[in-house]
Amino acid sequence: MKPARCTSDSLYGLDSYFPKPFAMAPSVPPVILNTTPQRLLTLVAQMMVILLTCVMVGCGPAKIEYRPNALYAVSLHREQGDADHTESEESSTRAAALAERWFGTADSPVWPSELLAATPGADEVVRMDDVERSAGPVGRGNDKIERGLYRKHCVPCHGVTGDGRGLAASMLSPYPRDFRRGTFKFKSTPTGVKPTRADLVRTLHDGIPGTSMPSFAALELSKEFKNDIESLVEYVRFLSIRGEVERRLIAKHARGESQLNPDDESAIEVVRLVVANWASAATKVLPIPNPPELAPEQFNESAKRGEEWFRSELTACAKCHGPSGAGDGNSQDFDDWTKDWTLLAGIDPKKKSDWKEMKPFGALKPVIDKPRNLAWGAFHGGGNRQDLFRRLVLGIEGTPMPPIARAINGNPGLTDGEIWDLVHYVQSLSSVPSSSLASAKSTLDDTIRSKPEGAVE
Amino acid sequence: MSATQELKSNESRELKSNDSRELKSNDSRKVLPGRASAAWKQSWFWAWATTIFVFPLIWVGGLVTTHDAGMAVPDWPGTYGYNLFLYPVTAWLYGPFDLFVEHGHRLLGSLVGLLSIALCVAAWSTETRRWYRWATIGLLLAVISQGLLGGFRVVLDGRTIAMLHGCGGPMVFALATFLALSASSDWASARPVIPSRGMRWISLALLLSTIVQLILGAQLRHALPDTSPSGFMSLVHLHLTMAAVVTLIIVLVAIVGRSGTYREAREILTPANALLLLLIVQLCLGIATWIVNYAMPWADLSQWLAKYAISAKGYWESLIVTGHQATGSLMIATSVWLVCRVWRRQGQLVRNPQSFTISKRLEA
Repeated sequence: MKPARCTSDSLYGLDSYFPKPFAMAPSVPPVILNTTPQRLLTLVAQMMVILLTCVMVGCGPAKIEYRPNALYAVSLHREQGDADHTESEESSTRAAALAERWFGTADSPVWPSELLAATPGADEVVRMDDVERSAGPVGRGNDKIERGLYRKHCVPCHGVTGDGRGLAASMLSPYPRDFRRGTFKFKSTPTGVKPTRADLVRTLHDGIPGTSMPSFAALELSKEFKNDIESLVEYVRFLSIRGEVERRLIAKHARGESQLNPDDESAIEVVRLVVANWASAATKVLPIPNPPELAPEQFNESAKRGEEWFRSELTACAKCHGPSGAGDGNSQDFDDWTKDWTLLAGIDPKKKSDWKEMKPFGALKPVIDKPRNLAWGAFHGGGNRQDLFRRLVLGIEGTPMPPIARAINGNPGLTDGEIWDLVHYVQSLSSVPSSSLASAKSTLDDTIRSKPEGAVE
Repeated sequence: MSATQELKSNESRELKSNDSRELKSNDSRKVLPGRASAAWKQSWFWAWATTIFVFPLIWVGGLVTTHDAGMAVPDWPGTYGYNLFLYPVTAWLYGPFDLFVEHGHRLLGSLVGLLSIALCVAAWSTETRRWYRWATIGLLLAVISQGLLGGFRVVLDGRTIAMLHGCGGPMVFALATFLALSASSDWASARPVIPSRGMRWISLALLLSTIVQLILGAQLRHALPDTSPSGFMSLVHLHLTMAAVVTLIIVLVAIVGRSGTYREAREILTPANALLLLLIVQLCLGIATWIVNYAMPWADLSQWLAKYAISAKGYWESLIVTGHQATGSLMIATSVWLVCRVWRRQGQLVRNPQSFTISKRLEA
């Protein structure tokens, strides 16, 4: 018999030096093995080449830039019956070019100080040293100072431009905020007024429970990163101002009011207006009265009165939040960020074929803004009594939640005492015992609220 | 003695004597038991040392990505103007966390480089298997390439290169694992079980799918800031689909490993069980990774989820995300383990005509 060919492995004769714990098939003879590792290695190498080629093909462009607001431009032009996207592209491109001239690029942001010499408080609106530290690519220079905070912490959701179209945006609920509209939900100022620094700091510090907005409180534990939240807030303000200026410029061009030349006074006036709105926000904070100190029985009575207000026609709370506050009302409304383009473009957000037309320009699938289930006790803008009072009297801007009618300066509506009753009823819906609810306060909230605007600085 | 046992004994004797003849004619040192054993041990030692240190290297590399620390040190190959090995220890240990992680990754990478050189030296001075010697060279080149990719990622500040670097790490780990396994006693003493093409191809399919899954994961981790939401969503869906495929294959391996021929074959069952365990851990880590990064997509499901606020760059969050990536690498290495055990035991019975003859004769 011609013997089996001996492989180089078997030359060791290792079978006789090592134990054979795996020889478990007695009926099979000890055949000298002749596996083909070369073949395996070659196969693996070939697979690697193919896969890495696929990866390379999937790589996107490396240059990171602010994205023009094409969706708003297209919506505006469609509003005016112009279905040709060439003109909308011109509007968005011209506005983006002007915005870049005045506000710089994603890697090198600038502040248009020369345009704002006559605007009071314009230099205080945004701190450019913080903006420069937050913008650009992530990393440290030779000075060991970390830069690119915004790309490190915010870009995956809010996008480079702050348009709420980060890479993960379409999978999040609710969608990340689009800063360019200048509309923010949780703030201490009335509808139509910009948020204060403290409002934004609070959102970053606490996060928003139940959503993808994280708490950045962990940064404050580090000596190096403790000011990062403030730096990020400055960049968010910068992006919001830049984005709103761009939007208004698009509107001017689309309506034929300006050709968006750099020396066009009406275009420059847009910058001044937007910056002035931000500069005056801190003076318009709505003061919230101190909550009444109540014994548990008094709290229960107050909550009972609040229940009546909750179900009344005047407040219409039950219409959206449902009679039991479980968020099961009949509201089928969308938020303002969705209405912003669907109403302008005359699109039915519930029709897939309609909104899909706008997808190439940056539209995300319209999602109904669900009312909160109050029984969970999970309030996005803070759950202490003052927070709830603030939400009731200010509403949540950009959403279907309106401000409640408040009896102040002779206006008809609920008195502060009645609003506290409503607050107590809302709190009583969650499973927290009434004794602890009566004195429930968020330490952080009180700390931040007690500071004037400048104190956060 | 039955006819089968007699035949088996004769076959064994014939093969053994043939071995000795060929050994003597080829290389006299190969017949010396002590020498051969020492050679085996050297390769085994350095291959395992390399493999063991590649895993923490991958883990620390994952931390670099989690903390976006790739550019924490702006120069390369030095560190802030210092030679890599002379950077002050106090500045490294007490400096910012991202610098600590990035510089640590570089030092660990250098150590792995030195270990792969030692493996090459050991293999080329004592190993007799030609393919093994060249494979150690391949590992060294792979480690050097990884180092260069890491360096170019810093010099060019390229996130795409970072992604390639992230994909390459587990491949180096897989190759090192393969070299460690092929220098082990199990490789030498492997005995054929029963020929089964199915198990061989299942194990290879598993290896391939874990690699693809890791590459998809790396695409998600290193996605460029201006990636479109729909592109990212497609990647997520692909990653989830691939997770289902990997799960299916591992479950299949576990079922086949417990049935018929393989019921008593512990050497197949061990990696199959390890894969099953890793799969459970990995699936949990995968879900947790999504939650700590983006929260639960269905926060309306419960009060706890509705109240849960995710924490950016928190300690546990970092560990979970990095652990998910590192466990992916471990699954690739374990798949290599399974492939080695299956192919080492079954490949030759089909491919080697001589063995095939023996089997046929035994059957007769």
